[in-house]
Amino acid sequence: MKKKKFTALDLTMGSLFVALTAVGANITSIAPFMVIGGVPITLQTFIAILAGIVLGSRLGAFSMFVYMVLGLAGAPIFAQFKGGAGVMLSPTFGFIVSFILLAYVAGKMVEAKRSFPMYVSAALVGMVINYIVGTNWMYAAYLFWFEAPEGLTYQMVWAWMAVPLPKDIILSVLAGYVGYRLETGALAHTKFRKQQQAV
Amino acid sequence: MGSSMIIGQYVPGNSFIHRIDPRTKITIIFFFVLIVFFANSVMSYGLLTLFAVGSAASTRIPARYLIKGLLPVWFLIVFTFILHLFVTKEGEVLFSIFSFDFYTGGIIQGLAISLRFFLLILVTSLLTLTTTPIEITDAIEGMLGPLKKIRFPVHELALMMSISLRFIPTLMQETEKISKAQASRGVDFRTGSFKDRIKAVVPLLVPLFVSAFKRAEELAMAMEARGYQGGEGRTKLRELSIGKLDIYTYILFILVIIGLILTRS
Repeated sequence: MKKKKFTALDLTMGSLFVALTAVGANITSIAPFMVIGGVPITLQTFIAILAGIVLGSRLGAFSMFVYMVLGLAGAPIFAQFKGGAGVMLSPTFGFIVSFILLAYVAGKMVEAKRSFPMYVSAALVGMVINYIVGTNWMYAAYLFWFEAPEGLTYQMVWAWMAVPLPKDIILSVLAGYVGYRLETGALAHTKFRKQQQAV
Repeated sequence: MGSSMIIGQYVPGNSFIHRIDPRTKITIIFFFVLIVFFANSVMSYGLLTLFAVGSAASTRIPARYLIKGLLPVWFLIVFTFILHLFVTKEGEVLFSIFSFDFYTGGIIQGLAISLRFFLLILVTSLLTLTTTPIEITDAIEGMLGPLKKIRFPVHELALMMSISLRFIPTLMQETEKISKAQASRGVDFRTGSFKDRIKAVVPLLVPLFVSAFKRAEELAMAMEARGYQGGEGRTKLRELSIGKLDIYTYILFILVIIGLILTRS
């Protein structure tokens, strides 16, 4: 399985997910979409979770890796149409890195068992990974790039991150639900799934 | 929107930096990011600033593009400076405001760290300002070539980057179209309770995904019909080449490194 080369269909499906993540990151400026309390909602994590669920662990993680590299190469595909190698130095870059791992884990979970509760738990585990990797990265970035003095504690960073948590829990459950609906409604009969199952 | 997505931050030009091989640029920026941390004296910081600002100036890119790249981190730079101003208590007391003492050590450290960050952002954004994403994709494929030995899918990475670039504008239009189509059927994205707005995600995203899957399938079929077999034996439209310019650039950069070693305290 590991040594199997990506087929043409794998590559195009992965690429479309890279494009979908770019759309999700900037959904508010494309569609008249949710702006809750003045804060634009991004669907980046939402789509990263779906990348794992739909594409599977290996291809999902790879497509999120492509998303990261493409953004660093200058395409304005991160949130707020950011892009370019400079993003690597931004403290929130860890959240983008976490997509690779969370897609892999979420993919592994649904590959083990395709059921609705499993989809939702895969999505929630994905969100937890997103928070853990992203927040620790953010803290490390403050320490490393800015040599932040003791004023900024680890607890402070986590307290800051608790604010968007309820919204992200709801979005993750929804990601699990959308993933399950796509699976039963559209994906189960596609060439893509048949090809994956044949391996 | 469509075309800006393909060229990204790229500002066309014909300067020295525009013309050097993207692989050279990536290599030099990589090492620059490392050596910035070795600067520790006024002279060494001055040397690196001269190199970075000189490179930026030689590209003839209007300053507003460079400033735009710095905007997202501007706040952080100022924040760090102020933080150090208040917290670092080294050196002599420079002046006091409301019985709060400001130390020379705090100001110097704050300035040094802000300057270091400014240099890092400036140099890394030069790469994407003078190189198109397609060129960078080619460079990445070339540079990661050796990883093919350990079965890392380098060719697939580059191909997926190109396909994604092509499809991002398409999917953005598609999203807009679906949201209008759903709005005309009575889906309300903007008002209503939080629960209703979250629910409105479903009729937007499910059709978007389904149409994306269809596109992926069609493209894969088209590729196979044209005999796509993976990376081996494929020829390239654009060939990268290392020329005299690149060698001069490397020599200049090595001189900067030697200068840095000499000016460190």
